[in-house]
Amino acid sequence: MLSLIVFLPIIAGLVILVVPASQKQIIRIVSLVAALAQGVLAVLIWRQYDPTMAGIVAAPGGSPVGSFQLIERIPWITLDLGSFGPLTIEYFLGVDGLSITMVLLTALISIIGILSSWPIQKQVKGYFILFNLLSTAMMGCFVALDFFLFYVFWELMLLPMYFLIGIWGGPNREYAAIKFFLYTLFGSVFMLLVMIGLYFSVVDPLTGHHTFSLVAMADQANYVKGTILGPGSEQWRYIAFAVLFVGFAIKVPMFPFHTWLPDAHVEAPTPISVILAGVLLKLGTYGMMRINFPLFPEVFQAGMYVIGVFGAINIIYGAFCALAQQDLKKMVAYSSISHMGYVLLGLAAGNSEGMLGALYQMFNHGTITAMLFLLVGVIYDRAHSRQIDKFGGLASYMPVYAGVVTIAWFASLGLPGLSGFISEAFVFVGAFREPITRPIAMVSVLGIVFGAAYLLWSLQRMFLGKRKPDALYELEVDSHGHEHIHFHDWKGKLDLDARELTMLVPLAIIIIALGIYPMPVMGLLTTSINKLVQVLAPVAISAVH
Amino acid sequence: MMHSLIQLSIAVLLLPLLSFVVLIFFNRRLPRMGDFVGVGLVGTAFACALTIFWQVVVQHYDPAFRVAWEFTWLDFGNVPGVGPLQVKMGIVIDNLTAIMLAMVTLISTLVHLYSTGYMQGDPKYGRFFAYLGIFTFSMIGIVLSDNLFSIYMFWELVGLSSYLLIGFYFYKDSAADAQKKAFLTNRIGDIGMWLGILILYSQFHTFGYREIFENIAAGKFNMSNGWLTAAGILLFMGCVGKSAQFPLHVWLPDAMEGPTPVSALIHAATMVAAGVYFVARIFVLLTPDALHVIAFIGAFTAFMSATIAITQHDIKRVLAYSTVSQLGYMVLGLGVGSYSAALFHLLTHAFFKACLFLGSGAIIHAMHHEQDMRWMGGLYKKMPWTFVTFSIATLALAGLPLTSGFLSKDAILAGALGFAQVEGGGIYYLVPAFGFAAAVMTAFYMGRQVWLVFFGESRTHLKPAEEHGHDAHAAHGHDDHGHEDHGHHEVHEVPWNMRLPLVILATLSVFIVFSPDPLDGGKGWFMHLVQTPATVVASTEAAHEAASLHAPEAGKLLAEAHTDNQHVEAAATHQTEGHGPVYADPRQAEIAHMTHANHFPAIQLSSLMLVIGIGMAFIVYVFRIIDPDKTAHSIRPLYLYSFNKWYWDEIYDATFIKGSMLISKILAWFDANIVDGIVNGIATIFRKFAFANGGFDKYVVDGLVNFTAFTVQTTGAVFRKIQTGKVQTYLLMVVVAVLAYFAFYIAQLIK
Repeated sequence: MLSLIVFLPIIAGLVILVVPASQKQIIRIVSLVAALAQGVLAVLIWRQYDPTMAGIVAAPGGSPVGSFQLIERIPWITLDLGSFGPLTIEYFLGVDGLSITMVLLTALISIIGILSSWPIQKQVKGYFILFNLLSTAMMGCFVALDFFLFYVFWELMLLPMYFLIGIWGGPNREYAAIKFFLYTLFGSVFMLLVMIGLYFSVVDPLTGHHTFSLVAMADQANYVKGTILGPGSEQWRYIAFAVLFVGFAIKVPMFPFHTWLPDAHVEAPTPISVILAGVLLKLGTYGMMRINFPLFPEVFQAGMYVIGVFGAINIIYGAFCALAQQDLKKMVAYSSISHMGYVLLGLAAGNSEGMLGALYQMFNHGTITAMLFLLVGVIYDRAHSRQIDKFGGLASYMPVYAGVVTIAWFASLGLPGLSGFISEAFVFVGAFREPITRPIAMVSVLGIVFGAAYLLWSLQRMFLGKRKPDALYELEVDSHGHEHIHFHDWKGKLDLDARELTMLVPLAIIIIALGIYPMPVMGLLTTSINKLVQVLAPVAISAVH
Repeated sequence: MMHSLIQLSIAVLLLPLLSFVVLIFFNRRLPRMGDFVGVGLVGTAFACALTIFWQVVVQHYDPAFRVAWEFTWLDFGNVPGVGPLQVKMGIVIDNLTAIMLAMVTLISTLVHLYSTGYMQGDPKYGRFFAYLGIFTFSMIGIVLSDNLFSIYMFWELVGLSSYLLIGFYFYKDSAADAQKKAFLTNRIGDIGMWLGILILYSQFHTFGYREIFENIAAGKFNMSNGWLTAAGILLFMGCVGKSAQFPLHVWLPDAMEGPTPVSALIHAATMVAAGVYFVARIFVLLTPDALHVIAFIGAFTAFMSATIAITQHDIKRVLAYSTVSQLGYMVLGLGVGSYSAALFHLLTHAFFKACLFLGSGAIIHAMHHEQDMRWMGGLYKKMPWTFVTFSIATLALAGLPLTSGFLSKDAILAGALGFAQVEGGGIYYLVPAFGFAAAVMTAFYMGRQVWLVFFGESRTHLKPAEEHGHDAHAAHGHDDHGHEDHGHHEVHEVPWNMRLPLVILATLSVFIVFSPDPLDGGKGWFMHLVQTPATVVASTEAAHEAASLHAPEAGKLLAEAHTDNQHVEAAATHQTEGHGPVYADPRQAEIAHMTHANHFPAIQLSSLMLVIGIGMAFIVYVFRIIDPDKTAHSIRPLYLYSFNKWYWDEIYDATFIKGSMLISKILAWFDANIVDGIVNGIATIFRKFAFANGGFDKYVVDGLVNFTAFTVQTTGAVFRKIQTGKVQTYLLMVVVAVLAYFAFYIAQLIK
């Protein structure tokens, strides 16, 4: 089942390969069908998933697949390395609370992404093949439980993303694409080194051989004494943690490794921005929760404060930078940086409330930011510009658009009743509860005010008041005194059209529903998060009991 | 099984939400844009609330009445280090809730009704009622909440509805500015409140009021006492924002950009009072230090905004500052420990201030959007209903005996006097002093307002032409509801649907509704049902000492007061009936005593203040013994200071707003040039290195390769000479080579 959900898009990509490039509509429909099928599968997986099973790590002496669900595990690459023993890389998939929400999110955002790719006219065939490849890679990352497999999917993401920005992007696309590519590659090279180090330090208790299994790696009992990353090798473990952390932090992106993001967003076409902000950024924090922290719990314990400080910097620095932006998309990009800071802060707390808030924030940020970028795309399609100061008064002429923007903007600024609030709230609850992150939480609440400031200010400048003298739309008053506007060369519907509403309304419903009653998603996470917290703080927990 | 009261209260909560949902989506498809949906659903909610009120207040009539219900909202499972953890949501109905529910739904219903007249013809008429619906829903949520988390959620939701309604005429820049300012200012207060919630949660892993209070009472607050004080003050910051207390009061006057019914409902009667309600809910955990802060903030706010109200020209701005001032009274009341008096004032104020705002709306409506009192005058003949109701409400606000405002204001001022004495006088006398000073000014500015609006000759024609031009432009946006133009300068009384709310609200501003004794609210049902709860904070040694130190003085005053026969009687019945709250906490007991003792001094003083204030208004505006313009001129700096609202807006703009913008610009520059500069710099270095490397590769590595090739070529050329192609030569060379090899081999062997 997991294999199917991972490889469905690639199958669609292969089908597209044989469709002639002129058949654009068929190509689009094939992709959409694959994405919808993926969505159906995701819902089936969700219905099958048993939220009382924790995952994260195998119980001592228990099954090597732990309490993961929907396991698929076969040997993939086996090499005999002589004195090193056999090298086994497994094709090992499975879900637990950390990944199930991300699977749901990825499936959802993929559908939205395909729908929002509809108007793409340039080299449609190549675009959708790459898009489907990207979709597979993302989904694969979230369900891979073998580090090597994870790494393969992780690297596989880079290539389509590079071309999708570099070919279908804006005027400065090559720069943005290469920046994204090199930055991420830089991170993953180190990840590769750590991965190899881990391989030689961990032994599968059942087979007695070295393994790439993340389930085995999450159990500190499986580390061999005297190996490079085994017990007693504190220094190397610290270095490995830091290096791995930087690799994931680039993806988040965490200050000061964040500057690729605004560039990538500004240049990327709307659907790619949606995917990038909606799913890709989550891989950074997902990697931290799945790999970085549980594999090096004692280093994590030592580094909580630093991670929290970076989280706070992201929150406040991102908000201030967003406040200064003139380009709406850049503002939303910086808002992503700010909101991913909450995830970091929640992780830094290291307790259930904070981690739960962080993971839930990952999901909510995915839906909310997808909405934000779609809405930015709407105005960009019409006006070919995103300059915040070049509109004014749009709410009078595009009431539906303004209404949806209001929902998305307020969701982003954390209004209660919308999902973002609950995750941010529990990030703060968690961070404040731990004495170590308490001062950081106290500073970070400033993000609540400045987050509201840049969002409301942009809302006012674009939608409220009257038309600016140099606005990018024309205003006409007809003989009845009614005002009409039109954009320079926009032939479509002025307000949101059916396709745009099809993408935005479900997102809005999800955001509202999960803001009122979060348990459908939150209930999936709690057992795993509680387990993860135990794995991360074995000493603290034993002290309590 | 859910208690029937809880079921009713859920209906009260959800009916306005239903109104919102129906109207936001379908208002254009419904006849009359669906105003009947709003009025009907909220009216039904009022009927339900009235049933609750009847059962709780009239039938039970028990100060200790309480019904609660809760459900598990979030389940965090078995949290390491904590154990099973759930976040519960729930409803609590006690006397205060029942009273607030009835008040909120009543005023909301009246405002809905009033708006069917006031907002008629507005293109967004239906949406207006939708917004009123979501506001009413969130406000009722605040009232019903039994925990800090849900009250925070509804707290921000009323902020949203306030945002939407202030910016109802969003095409006006002033409205768009005001709505943003209101939301952001409130958010500053909210982060304080949120931190306060976090402090309490971090100790007890719960948001429920009751659990938190029980834990504090049991001494389970493990942080230092300073943190508890901090928690109290931080929670109070939420009230500072929402109830427009200094220093976050600046948003409320600007919020008058919203349509006038909104000003009445949200920015006078209910939402702004939510801050006071919230502080009342958490009252028992406030430490004496936190209470002092609250008392001083309230007193200063009451005083400061009263000084501003005297010089404003805009009829709604005077009322707005008056609202800030009255909210200051309520906060002051809570700070000095007069819990029930403060809440009593909340209730009475809600009615008379809603009446004043709706009355001012009627005037503005009749005057075709003229809001400047300088160009009004002589309206009492033309708008008799408005005049009478407005005057009753004015007297209640000024605190004339026989009105409801007198009862509650006097109770607060008595509490302030008692507080100052218990705390040992000195600087603490500032609190009652500010209170009484504000009372004088209230009487004065309300006298001024009534005179300027209703008496004298009409001054419409005196309005300078340039202001006309300016105003016509503004008026188009201002309360723009395009009703048919009925004659240019003709002023009419408003229709019945706007008059009825005025009459009801004015009726509710009379003493008899609240207390049989026109001079003592303590004999009324409200003060009986809503009694000051006992604090859960253990008195510190110092506080205890301070209280007992001044006991002799207090005892003396108490004895003095008790010489009044009536009072002794009252006190005696109070005791024999045995429903006077008994406080274990010495400080609280002391304050309760002293408040009681100061009942009559407070009445005397506040009556005196009323006479002075109204007298001044008469002297200036009726008898014209003092010319207001000349006076203003002679004390120009003071006048300007008041007229420009103490320059708070300018100060905040120059510091916080400009400062934030500067920081954001600097950081954006830093981001684009330094952080990204380093990234690009590193890339450049690598590129340079790559070029150097390329050069090295081209000239050195490749040079070596080429050199090798060259060598081989040259060698080849040399050896080509040997390569003759003749077999004999080759054979010879082979023989020579073999011989040489053997010679070498033999030489090796010999060695």
